[in-house]
Amino acid sequence: MDELVVECHGLSRSFGNHQALAGLDLSVPRGSVFGFLGPNGAGKTTTVRLLVGLLAPSAGSVAVLGMDPVGEGGRVRARCGVMLDQVGVYDRLTAQQNLEFAARVARLAPRTARERVDALLHRVDLWDRRHDNVSGFSKGMRQKLGLARALMSEPDLLILDEPTAGLDPANIVMVRDLLVSLAEESLSVFLCTHLLAEAQRICDTVGILQAGRLLAVGAPGHIGQQGLPAARLALSGADGRAVRLPSGAALSPLSGGEWRVTMDHGDDIEAVVAALVQAGIGVRAVIPEAVSLEETYLKLVGGDGPA
Amino acid sequence: MVLRDWGTMIHKEILESFGHRRFLTVFALAALLTGVLPVLSLAHAHAHALGGNLTLFRAIYVLLAAVIVVAQTAPDLVLHERVGHTLDYVLTTRLPDGAIFGAKLVVAAASGYAAALLALAVQLVLTALVGHSGWSWLFLALPMGRVAVFGITAGLSVYLAVVGTFVALRIGEQRTAYMATMLSVGVIIAPFALGWLTLTLTTSWISQAAVVFGAVAVVLAFVGLSLLRRERVVLYLQE
Repeated sequence: MDELVVECHGLSRSFGNHQALAGLDLSVPRGSVFGFLGPNGAGKTTTVRLLVGLLAPSAGSVAVLGMDPVGEGGRVRARCGVMLDQVGVYDRLTAQQNLEFAARVARLAPRTARERVDALLHRVDLWDRRHDNVSGFSKGMRQKLGLARALMSEPDLLILDEPTAGLDPANIVMVRDLLVSLAEESLSVFLCTHLLAEAQRICDTVGILQAGRLLAVGAPGHIGQQGLPAARLALSGADGRAVRLPSGAALSPLSGGEWRVTMDHGDDIEAVVAALVQAGIGVRAVIPEAVSLEETYLKLVGGDGPA
Repeated sequence: MVLRDWGTMIHKEILESFGHRRFLTVFALAALLTGVLPVLSLAHAHAHALGGNLTLFRAIYVLLAAVIVVAQTAPDLVLHERVGHTLDYVLTTRLPDGAIFGAKLVVAAASGYAAALLALAVQLVLTALVGHSGWSWLFLALPMGRVAVFGITAGLSVYLAVVGTFVALRIGEQRTAYMATMLSVGVIIAPFALGWLTLTLTTSWISQAAVVFGAVAVVLAFVGLSLLRRERVVLYLQE
């Protein structure tokens, strides 16, 4: 887990006067699933393009699998499997022909190619439709085919841009399960996603990007929780707001004698309880409140839902 | 390894083109029409004695087959990849830039050349049958016809393939891209129309013209391929 598959320092990219990415600092360890979250225009796709050497940085540096994507673009792309938000499968070819093309691109030996094409068609549940032209495929089937294609070269890093966008719930579950199984195989995944619940479930680490700036990065359960609810308290006695609480903590009344405590430091709930007890206020119950990634996201991004 | 990458892309382009009804229709119609029409006019040729211009008259039809097919195929090979976002995908692979775009030029130019040769074959067979004068009508027997058909058609196919690929990358709209590619033939005709060059119907002149034009087309193809870099194309696609 020590080796980094993605390392960015002050990575920036502008198009004319528009700053698409501003000073991105990011480290993704090998074998982890990194979730990249942010609204439309946040700079996620620009980041993906920088990672695979399709764009050169305006400033800063980026290393993928220890290589420079600009100077060693071919080698970086050879070791990455990429699936973009527009999956781009060849409509005039069959599912099998699409994967055979990907196998040739990956320079696989014919026998290895055949075995891997068959295995991937089974894995994404498209075996029965392998001879059908892709033009008749649903969005979900295309996404699955795109995912299979990205896995063809057995990449060291899988870069996925919105792999579940536009899918029905059954296909979202299928893709999620596939990603979970890939994570269990210690494949490194860089995942741009709209689905915060999925990111919370799948990712080891998430980063939240807005207007080209990384707002927060951390584990999904702990990222950017400053000022978010930490617990509900059932108090007896005087108004808790009169009590001097530890720095960063605040109480707000709820109904039925309950209070909500929000904190900048999530681990200091004991200090809050101690301060209340010391002030003569009885604490009848402490009910921890789990903070979802969605709440964190909405707080950081300012109410814009994920695009 | 580089050749293998070119082979991968050329194989894919052929598979896609020949699996597409529109391409097959344009290819077959262009070859048949430009093969049949000049021979139908041959009845008049007997009467009005086109004489030495007959070779050129037929050769122009052969060239027309190449123009029609390449002007459709070259933009289409790029445009359907743009629309279907497969160009975005292929740019994220390890394939070198030269293979991605070079394969399109090769397949588009080869399609036009193949259509021209097919049109020629149709002309020859029909001429022999309709003319009732055996195979002596084969205009390929004249050196001028050989040069015009094999040399100039090759140069023209490469030229149009380069123009069509570039036009399609800059103009995302299908009909405009087809028209712009077709109209680029005007650039070749213009010096003659403006009187800067004079067309001379001799084997020597036609041969020299074929060599010069072929060289220009090949240089254009190399310059075009060196300009078609991933970074540039990504910015085109982003516009």
